[in-house]
Amino acid sequence: MSLVSVQGMSVVYEPKGALPVPAVRNVSFDLEQGDFVGLVGESGSGKSTLGFALTGLSKPPARVSAGSIFFDGVDIAGMTPSQLRVQRHGGFAMVLQSGMNALNPVRSIRDHFFDIFAAHGHVSKRDREARAVELVGKVELPASVLDRFSGELSGGMRQRVSIALALSLEPRLMVFDEPTTALDVLVQHAVMDTIRELQRSEKFTAVLISHDLGMVLEVTERVMVMHDGLIVEDALAAEILAAPQHPYTRMLLSHYGDPRAAVVEVPGLAARGGRRAAVVEPVETPSVVEPVETPAVVEPVETPAVVEPVETPVETPVETHPPAVRKREGRAAREAIVVTNVSKIYQRPSRGEQPVCAVNNVSFTLEPGASMALVGASGSGKSTIAKLITGVERPTSGSITFGDLQIDTIKRRQLKRLHTEVQMVFQDPYAALNPLHTVEYILTRPILNFSKLRGRAARHRMLELLETVGLTPVEQFAARLPHQLSGGQRQRVVIARALASDPQVIIADEPVSMLDVSLRAGVLALLDSLRETWGVSMLYITHDLLSARLVTDQIMVLNSGAVVEEGATADVLQNPQDEYTIRLLEAIPHPTVGGLVDS
Amino acid sequence: MTPTRTIVPPTSVVKTMSPGTHDGGGANPLLVVWRAFATIWSVPKARIGLALLGFFVILAVFAPLLAPYAATDNTFGRSEDMSPAHWLGTTAAGQDVLSQIIYGARVSVFVGFVAGLLSTIIAVLIGLSWGYLRGPAGEVINFIVNLFLVIPALPLMIVIAAYLQNGGIGMIVLVVVITGWAWGARVLRSQTQSLRSRDFVTAAIFSGESPSRIVFREILPNMTSLIVGSFFGASTAAILAEAGLEFLGLGDSTTVSWGTMLFWAQNSNALLTGQWVLLFAPGLCISLLATSMSLINFGVDGLSNPRLREGAKR
Repeated sequence: MSLVSVQGMSVVYEPKGALPVPAVRNVSFDLEQGDFVGLVGESGSGKSTLGFALTGLSKPPARVSAGSIFFDGVDIAGMTPSQLRVQRHGGFAMVLQSGMNALNPVRSIRDHFFDIFAAHGHVSKRDREARAVELVGKVELPASVLDRFSGELSGGMRQRVSIALALSLEPRLMVFDEPTTALDVLVQHAVMDTIRELQRSEKFTAVLISHDLGMVLEVTERVMVMHDGLIVEDALAAEILAAPQHPYTRMLLSHYGDPRAAVVEVPGLAARGGRRAAVVEPVETPSVVEPVETPAVVEPVETPAVVEPVETPVETPVETHPPAVRKREGRAAREAIVVTNVSKIYQRPSRGEQPVCAVNNVSFTLEPGASMALVGASGSGKSTIAKLITGVERPTSGSITFGDLQIDTIKRRQLKRLHTEVQMVFQDPYAALNPLHTVEYILTRPILNFSKLRGRAARHRMLELLETVGLTPVEQFAARLPHQLSGGQRQRVVIARALASDPQVIIADEPVSMLDVSLRAGVLALLDSLRETWGVSMLYITHDLLSARLVTDQIMVLNSGAVVEEGATADVLQNPQDEYTIRLLEAIPHPTVGGLVDS
Repeated sequence: MTPTRTIVPPTSVVKTMSPGTHDGGGANPLLVVWRAFATIWSVPKARIGLALLGFFVILAVFAPLLAPYAATDNTFGRSEDMSPAHWLGTTAAGQDVLSQIIYGARVSVFVGFVAGLLSTIIAVLIGLSWGYLRGPAGEVINFIVNLFLVIPALPLMIVIAAYLQNGGIGMIVLVVVITGWAWGARVLRSQTQSLRSRDFVTAAIFSGESPSRIVFREILPNMTSLIVGSFFGASTAAILAEAGLEFLGLGDSTTVSWGTMLFWAQNSNALLTGQWVLLFAPGLCISLLATSMSLINFGVDGLSNPRLREGAKR
């Protein structure tokens, strides 16, 4: 008999004063003892809702509206909370995405373990210490962490602790909900290895929920692909890789590529073979012929909210540019950002700790029209460099110039002048737009602040910007509020705002890391084509080497504040010299090596 | 709920906006107020509070129509008990108690509204700029606010009121505002500090916005519920402080308000003469009015913007 058997289960969200929304629809599957199953889908596909339902953690307004979940022969869908509580010992446990924040900051890690032991009484008082040490040992942590508090541990260590806490009840079913998404790339890899080994040694059934098909295919044996509340494909990992059946799965797979390959392409983004950056030559503009948003994602009947309905091709040949947009090209002087021997040292304010050197003697030049990637794991100083270039922070030593502007000693009044030329695209489109302002307001403000356009002309320009980023019909989008837009559309608004001042340089700080895979290519293609047609230079900050390969020509690899490797993107990634670059490359999940790109 | 949007684009843009293209939030301020009202109304506790507050406001506005006699008419028998002619009896000076209660609502509602509004405005101005600024200016404001927080409010009020002798309602409003803004300023500052680090504020800097515009156009609208809550809190405190000062005889004792009624009742030993209504009726009115504000504050939580939570990571 299967350990878990889900039959015809549906989950609906019933928020107060709104129509109920089905999140999971009529899902059926079985899990055997010792299975390691991946559950993949984009945001809003219902994968987390399904995970919560599996472990009996569904909370109002979510409700299991139909079907049954048999766990070891018992239907847990109809259980009361107190019955469920008993079930948790030796039953099912869940590790959350933000599990690292689930630790109580004022209690030691030992207290967390002892609380669970006390609540379930399955470990005698004498054995508690030994058991806690054993558990943290399983997740490859030293016994000394038991004395520490969550604030003293790194993100990866905290996530390991929460895995150990989930293990403490000897569950037979573990649900991991995006266990590594909030972690740094290199740490992600290590935590995933731990989970895989634990699953093998402890022989529990594991469900790994993730948006990252590549990682899931690499780690699990069987994969269920969820889309719009339905499981559209349920097959062995190898089968999905070899012959994906559902068009949605095929679409997801098509967005993976190996940054080390000779030619890297994803739908909507042509390979950068022989492309040069410097000059704006319309002829060379690789026109993105197919619609950027992968078409035919699902049957038309089920077009879900996640897949952006209004993605128009970002095909922007120069001729169609409205006059105001083309003005950029008329400007004669084009300046480079020159960074010379810049260091930034943060003084720790308390406890006389050692000062932190965030950026260490970095020099580079961002030539006009160039696109350069700045890659590194978190804490490598890449975001600090962005802050230094935009005048938000000042370097401790060294100089940064942009034309005649001395950015390292810039005055507040000159900051506005800098921002007409240097603009930023933010990482999180959900935080970068004020929820109370319409798109029109958001885009009109920089136009009024930076240009002499007023009234009708300003509005005209605002609509042009919307058209440029492919948000049509423009009138409709202008009146929308941010929460009425999808993630990809929001990021397009953020890009439009950055373009409003007609800048020479755009600094894109992880512009796609918060977006679903299927939307990433669209936003990247937009950035890339805008850069080429407008002649804007771009500093692309990321930890994602694949996207760096797709949209940049030069690359700089940062490790703890220092540049360890630089050169042409394709050369560096195909032939990395520094050990750190190699580690970054190895941390990228690849379902297969090479095979995907051609398919 | 659709947003409580109070900000409209600059006028130059408004002129060119074609009507009818809006499917999002309405910019009509009346509509915004109506939505806010509907949100508060949907909470049962707040509904009771709104009804109570509405009752007192109607009482205050239509006092001349509702009151059977003029408030200062002292031509009746002295210290009479309740009777059909005088439902709540008469005072030691021969005035009708019910009429005084009805007219007294005017002072309490007025002071509550005006003093609450003024101290909220001061709290917003100081709290927001204090939260947004860094550096020495913030330290100076910090010192001043802390000073007002640690000074015991009641003795300060008594001292100021005694100094500005018999200044009437204006004086009481002033005293209440001076002693009442600091707490709100501190609460608003902490929220401003947390909003300041949001990406959309950084983005506004990149859009070339001036600091004052960032504070009042980007940050302030995201704190509506806190500000409304702080207004009702300040109003409650103002109503109680006003009654307290008048009861102590520090106001103008010739005005008719619930506080002065208590003052005169105490002076004429109303309890000893068995006229408990003289103390009970104004006391009950004061506490009911204060309660209505506190009840409304339960509903204000619902005003807090649901879209702010969307800003959190998925």
